[in-house]
Amino acid sequence: MLEIIRIHNELLGTYGDRGNSDVLQYRAGLRKIKARVTDISYLDPLPRTGDIYLLGGAEDAAQLLSLTALRKGSILARAANKGAVVLAICAGFQLLGTKYITRDEEFAGLGLLDVSTAPGDKRLVGDIAVKSPLFELPLTGFENHSSVTTLGSEAKPFASVISGNGNGVAGLDGAMSENVFGTYLHGPVLARNPEFADLLLERALGTSIEPVVDDLATEYAKWRRALI
Amino acid sequence: MRSLRLRFAIAVARSASATSKLLGHKGETLPGRILLAIEPEAISLLAQGKEVILVSGTNGKTSTTKAVTSIVSQLGPVATSGSGSNLAWGAANALMSLAPYAVLEIDELHLPSIIAQTDPTIVLLLNLTRDQLHRMHEVKRVADRWHVECSEATNTIFVADIDDPYINYSIVNAINVVRVSFGGRTHPDGAVCPRCGNYLTWVRGNYSCTCGLSNKINELKFKKGSASHRNAILANIVGEIVGADPVEFTESALERTVTKEMAGKKAHFRLTKNPASWTEALQGDLHHDVVLVLNARQVDGIDTSWLWDVSFKALKGHRVFVCGERALDMAYRIHVEGISPEVVESVDVAISLATGSEISVLSAYTAFFELVM
Repeated sequence: MLEIIRIHNELLGTYGDRGNSDVLQYRAGLRKIKARVTDISYLDPLPRTGDIYLLGGAEDAAQLLSLTALRKGSILARAANKGAVVLAICAGFQLLGTKYITRDEEFAGLGLLDVSTAPGDKRLVGDIAVKSPLFELPLTGFENHSSVTTLGSEAKPFASVISGNGNGVAGLDGAMSENVFGTYLHGPVLARNPEFADLLLERALGTSIEPVVDDLATEYAKWRRALI
Repeated sequence: MRSLRLRFAIAVARSASATSKLLGHKGETLPGRILLAIEPEAISLLAQGKEVILVSGTNGKTSTTKAVTSIVSQLGPVATSGSGSNLAWGAANALMSLAPYAVLEIDELHLPSIIAQTDPTIVLLLNLTRDQLHRMHEVKRVADRWHVECSEATNTIFVADIDDPYINYSIVNAINVVRVSFGGRTHPDGAVCPRCGNYLTWVRGNYSCTCGLSNKINELKFKKGSASHRNAILANIVGEIVGADPVEFTESALERTVTKEMAGKKAHFRLTKNPASWTEALQGDLHHDVVLVLNARQVDGIDTSWLWDVSFKALKGHRVFVCGERALDMAYRIHVEGISPEVVESVDVAISLATGSEISVLSAYTAFFELVM
């Protein structure tokens, strides 16, 4: 059983990112791989045994609450060190960094990625297309954030920006390290880009998975790439 | 007495309105824009001497404005804005009327400025949930603006549905407030206290926070019910404050639904534009044939990610057609939920393929207006 942990969806669920777990479960199901999605609220302890952990976008106050809860016991960092997959979108991605600066305060992040985030001078809203070395074709999504994320020396960018803003500096989007992925792409990103969902499944299972034919998924991803 | 410049502005705006109508437009935006271009103070000048009532919220603005208008009409002529014409120029256009009462639907982001300009008698605040986030950015951002303006509008009576924590936060420092609670509902974006940032405690549709924000502290408590039920009661509270008799509304009178005969069948169109209104619509009765229409223009919200925050489980067992400019966004969304959609070119095609004599059509904002208005 593949354990998918949806972290604090009531806080990190402002921009539809909960769909990422639905798509993972669905595409696992197409291969007869059993997957269970568990919602972990702010009040619940984070399970140590997840195979895939998902974090989504959030409003400011919710993001800080989530950060406070996730600091306890560094469970996410330990799970990632043991090879668990982590996908973090927007506010979730910002929390994984080393530093998160708001207009009023500075917070230490969870430290899964060597990135730091600070307020930008304008809201970055709109369709976005990026090219990641992990995939042959561009990925598409929608971004809506005002912070800017800078990569530290140990961080690897997730993708370069084709159109849109991404991290807001250096023409890059997101960051990644081993099985930890951060990006600014909502959409949800795994619905818009099924190849990304498959990659996460493979990483979580530690083995390659057979390709599946889901015509609607393919048609949808293609149509969305054409729209940008 | 209206000033010479204001009277000139009105004259030009009215003739523009007539021309615009000749050209087949509804004629509500252009005259208001002209009026404000010639006399930027027009809204505040025209509001003087009128009993102004404003209605705002994410969902239910238009139908509740109509309900309030029909209630207040018992007292005398009422100036009101046309369907969905809820920005500054829509308000300006409506206020040109000499009617002693004005009942205006106001866009959430425009509300603070219209309150400041009209010094309204009453403001009815319905709800604040996620909608058009490419424009609103965050629900809290809208609530912060309301919070500031409601605190400053000391002459105004606020009628507020405080089961929504964002509404309660908006009026928490206002001087004259009728806090109304129905209880029994949660809030899709209500995990965090908008006032202090703490985690809200929710128990059976009631929330409370360590900072004291709670819907249990209210002036009026009613039994729980649908959005239509709540908005009918809220509209009558507004009416009572200005001295009108209560009016009874049927459930459907306050839904944005329109029934049209198409290809010998009855198509029931319902406006669904964000997670909250989709959820409300999917909880209602649906016919076997259901058509989902999705667009993503500016007023629909250009980002359709929110579709994944709506549960479409209620559609299981139904025959589901999908169309609109973003049909594939919807089709793939419900496909993953285990529902097989039939993607069709248009509502007309869906209706012709439907086997039942009655069809439910759930439609995005821009499509709704094109199809039924």
